[in-house]
Amino acid sequence: MSVEHDADHWAREEERFLRALQAAKRRRILVQLALNALGIVLFLLAWEMSPRIIPWLNPILFPPPTETLHALQELIDSGELVNGIAISLRRALIGFVIGSLLGILVGLLSGQIAAIQYLTDPLLHGFRAIPAIALVPLSLLWFGIGEASKVALIAWGAFYPVWLNTYTGVRNVPDALHRSAASLGALPHQAMFLVVLPASLPFILVGLRQAVGIALIVLVAAELAGSSSGVGYLIATSHQLFRVDIMFVGIATLGFLGFMVDRLFALAQTYFFPWYTGAK
Amino acid sequence: MPALIEIKNVSKIYATSDERPTWALQDVSVDIERGEFICAIGPSGCGKTTLLNIIGGFIEPTEGTARRNGEIIDKPGPDRGVVFQEYALFAWLSARENIEFAMRLKGVPKKERRERSDRYLEMIGLKRAADRYPGELSGGMRQRVAVARALINEPEILLMDEPFAAVDAMTRATLQEELLKLWQGLNLSVLFITHNIEEAVFLSTRIVVMTPHPGKIKTVVPVDLPFPRDRGSPEFGAVYARVNKAFHS
Repeated sequence: MSVEHDADHWAREEERFLRALQAAKRRRILVQLALNALGIVLFLLAWEMSPRIIPWLNPILFPPPTETLHALQELIDSGELVNGIAISLRRALIGFVIGSLLGILVGLLSGQIAAIQYLTDPLLHGFRAIPAIALVPLSLLWFGIGEASKVALIAWGAFYPVWLNTYTGVRNVPDALHRSAASLGALPHQAMFLVVLPASLPFILVGLRQAVGIALIVLVAAELAGSSSGVGYLIATSHQLFRVDIMFVGIATLGFLGFMVDRLFALAQTYFFPWYTGAK
Repeated sequence: MPALIEIKNVSKIYATSDERPTWALQDVSVDIERGEFICAIGPSGCGKTTLLNIIGGFIEPTEGTARRNGEIIDKPGPDRGVVFQEYALFAWLSARENIEFAMRLKGVPKKERRERSDRYLEMIGLKRAADRYPGELSGGMRQRVAVARALINEPEILLMDEPFAAVDAMTRATLQEELLKLWQGLNLSVLFITHNIEEAVFLSTRIVVMTPHPGKIKTVVPVDLPFPRDRGSPEFGAVYARVNKAFHS
């Protein structure tokens, strides 16, 4: 004769099952983190050892992490690094904001009004094909060695991906949304800013994220070519001084900045546009 | 007094993707009276959605006239609420904000907006989901929000383009019953596009059966059954058979 288990039995089983599940999950995460750390340690170890054991590797040209750390300390103490980062970020931010706003505006207008699209399409697609870095010398001539030339270049570079993605977003707004807005009483400008703009946001965000990457590239190119401050300038001068350790600090800083800005962007996206991740 | 909606000899031509002229509608005439629940039914290509779009003011007829209260329809307006099949809610606004959208356009103060949207959320039974985004709502809930959003302007007529086509059968039956309650309670007219005969017989006071190529009205079947209707009754079956025959012959 079979005996049915009571509720307590099932509850106990459930609890045991959940505990085992959580333990397995914790183990997986621990193993993953350990391997992540191990990868970094192995890399640093190889970097530290190679100038010492490989005879043809010049430690001046290939300074190990310990020396790079010394240089980092030096730059932090003198305030050069923080100062350079602040100046570079400020340039990137101003240029990015100007370029993005223009990109969104032109994208909205050319996406909504066919005449504007036909008028601007050949020019914008032509200009877009020019690598922004090719304009660095021109920008220096036109706007000088100061802030204006960097900001102008960054704005130029940031404009194109934002414009193109905004345009695509606007063209992809379903008819049903336009019609819903109109039948609810929206005037053209209300439909533009209250419906078309937010409906295109997923595309615009893609463009903005691409623009962030481009802004950093153009920033460094401009700072390397001609400037008297910023992280790019730090790299350029350490080149002349034969200080590869400082150069490494500058390069690592740029990598770190790029990574942080991208992370920040992703965070801001989920914070400001909760519906975007919630939507299917 | 003219009929609420008067469609007179309306034709609409458009070009297919290979540039052949096609008549979506040819010489279609039909009136919608106040308080009527009309279903337009027919296979794809019969022009039922084109008819709705003309009444909605989204497209113009090539020939003929569409009037509302005797005046030519030339643009969309809040007097005609529209509910689309799907994906017509504003994804970046919560259910409540979607319903309040029309009031926001008119600059209605926040307090008043809230009071009214509360009433409509109550009406569609979604008060607890008020702050959820469309992406977090089920298909049935989304269509309830779409109906409330269209009704907030207190339109004379609700235009519905296969609104329940994308929800499962159980939910659809519930939505149909809720829609009938709203229609009876608010003294509305409804134009409801569907390709589901049972749905048409369950809902409407008149069924307009259409045929494709070119889009024309084949016949109009009045449905005199009392509400609420019993899908299993012989009377229901008789009307169903009549519409089915017109649909398939």
